[in-house]
Amino acid sequence: MSEQEQVDKKLQEELQNAFPMADTVDWNEVYQRIIYRYSTPHGLQHVKEELYKLEDKGEIIVHHIKPYNNPVKMQSLNGIPKTIPTDKLWNHKSCGQCGHIPGYPTSVFWMMNKMEIDYLDEPHQTSCTGWNYHASGASNPVALAGVYVRNMWRAYETGYFPLIHCGTSFGHYKEVRNTIILHKEIREKLRPIMRKLNMDIVVPEEVVHYSEWLYTMSKKAAQQKKYDLSNVKAAVHTPCHVYKLVPEDTIYDPEVWQGRRPAAPSGTVQNFGAKLVDYSTWWDCCGFGFRHILTEREFSRSFALFKKVIPAVEEAHADVFVTSDTGCVTTLDKSQWAGKAHGFNYNLPVLADAQFAAIAMGADPYTIAQIHWHATDVEGFLRKIGVPVDDYKEKFIQYLSDLREGKAQPQYLYTPHRKIDFYISVPERVKWYKKDVPK
Amino acid sequence: MSQSKLLSLPDDPRFLDMAYFEQGALPEEVRNLDSLKPEERETAIKFWQAVKSDFRFNEYLRGCLNCGVCTSGCPAAKFYDYGPREMIQYMMRDAVDKIWEFTNKKVWACVQCFTCSMRCPFNNEIAGLIMLLREYAVQFALPSAKEILAPYRRVLYTVMTLGNQVTPDMIQPEAFPDWGPQAVEESKNMDVYRKAIPVDLMQRTDVGWQPSLQTAVEMMTIMIESGVMDSIKKVDPDLYDMVMDIYEDRKAQLEEIKEKWQKGELNEDELPDSWLDL
Repeated sequence: MSEQEQVDKKLQEELQNAFPMADTVDWNEVYQRIIYRYSTPHGLQHVKEELYKLEDKGEIIVHHIKPYNNPVKMQSLNGIPKTIPTDKLWNHKSCGQCGHIPGYPTSVFWMMNKMEIDYLDEPHQTSCTGWNYHASGASNPVALAGVYVRNMWRAYETGYFPLIHCGTSFGHYKEVRNTIILHKEIREKLRPIMRKLNMDIVVPEEVVHYSEWLYTMSKKAAQQKKYDLSNVKAAVHTPCHVYKLVPEDTIYDPEVWQGRRPAAPSGTVQNFGAKLVDYSTWWDCCGFGFRHILTEREFSRSFALFKKVIPAVEEAHADVFVTSDTGCVTTLDKSQWAGKAHGFNYNLPVLADAQFAAIAMGADPYTIAQIHWHATDVEGFLRKIGVPVDDYKEKFIQYLSDLREGKAQPQYLYTPHRKIDFYISVPERVKWYKKDVPK
Repeated sequence: MSQSKLLSLPDDPRFLDMAYFEQGALPEEVRNLDSLKPEERETAIKFWQAVKSDFRFNEYLRGCLNCGVCTSGCPAAKFYDYGPREMIQYMMRDAVDKIWEFTNKKVWACVQCFTCSMRCPFNNEIAGLIMLLREYAVQFALPSAKEILAPYRRVLYTVMTLGNQVTPDMIQPEAFPDWGPQAVEESKNMDVYRKAIPVDLMQRTDVGWQPSLQTAVEMMTIMIESGVMDSIKKVDPDLYDMVMDIYEDRKAQLEEIKEKWQKGELNEDELPDSWLDL
């Protein structure tokens, strides 16, 4: 045995002594375990790869973002690009917004009109049922996937790309999309249900929240700004379901909080020229709680007031609270009034980023932003930035009384639907909406 | 402490963790069930087995450092006797009795903000685990689920039949006095306020936006086919009957209208403005 061989043999022996189990360990399994343990449950890169594999296999239809959607590339949390479509959008409305904050979706539509963006708003949509699911647990993954895919199918057949208005729908749909893509058993249970409805499994390429769209458009939108917001101190509450539910799939931008907090809606506020102010509980929940806001509001009220509103006023001296989700606007806005009984009279105006931006661009605060549905002092804030609130209000009160007496007809942001659209979804409906066919 | 006391530790059920290597994992049937009422034991074991065998369970539960980061950021933990760490620890130990106790009360305190999930160093999907417990609590029709769903009935009805969670007219002064005088004013004049919204879908007072009849029927079909209505039947049989009756009626109406439309015989003027008035 040569000297070299002896050295090698000795080395092997020493290695054997040092790592006695090295031969029996399945290293591949160890790597898998490490990947499993230290990756997030739904790694975005992995989900996207699987999405396209399933498309190749013909298992699902992917609704792609097309050039006519004017896509803009943004960055998600871990730097993976997220494509935001900015035109030809199918509005996926929010049940809570339409029910209690109607100025929220109307502000989005108004801005789309103002920026000449092509969009659809249809009666062929249901809510995501995520509010119900998170509140009561009365649902299951197949049902949730079914609701998602049905809505996405309706968007797919129109050719317009879905834009999700609600933060919970957005977070929830990201999760449901991942479940559909990663779990064959769900797809297998889902397919017969969709077949029964004459539909197939459609998954859009991206799940996009309107606040991401608004942030992407905000520099352009701010060019049409009518009021100076440089004296406004705005505190922002980023909705939990936008960035904590499937955290990877939300846009971040180095220009906003150095990329350390989600880009929207802080970036929108910033681009509209207001001063972003910080407070210690910026990351905290608003207290909505899904179930709590309906049946256990003592929690919601206390949490919103003590953990959000008071820090925003006392620490940051905020003039306005801007947020970007149904639940957060409702909770932060409605929870302040009861505090007066205990001497907590903060009355900090709460607005959705869409309302904030629309008003800054000159939208009517009553007919468009519908601020009269808010419980906090939005009018006071508007006076501060120079909006002639009293003139608008006088006109609006007149409009209401004319409507009541039948002297005025309701005004619309887009042509009202035909009667048939409220009954069945006619395949060629888009042509009619877009006036390609005569009435 | 005497030597004999130390040696007797593994036999004490409170020290099962320490005894793990000697005893191996004890079967669930004999583990910590003493604190449960005898009639609850079987359901408690079945419940936990169902949760554990869900396809999401292993994906969501990855391990636990017991660091408490989840509970420190938890909004519900600030107000209720509740904490996500507690739940994870029970799950890690297969503590059937504790999980049963937790599911029957504390699990409903969670506000589903997902702060715990985002912060967890082990990447556990903690809020997702809470949802698993809630989902199975409804499926097993546990008393806590029934109690929680009782005041929530009207909402469930709206979700199942219209696909909307809330309705504008649910804001009534007696139900929402804490929302202030503005809410009272709206509820009094809801009709005209809704009419002043510049979108035709949103002008009704009994629904956030009006879905089409076809959409409502499709939604109900999904809920029935996926088994959601079956679990509602166990929790609230009256609600189940109501929704199923409505489903049958609307399905028939839809089929009639669809058929007429396909044949070109549909006279739109004969239809009411909204199918909700049919």
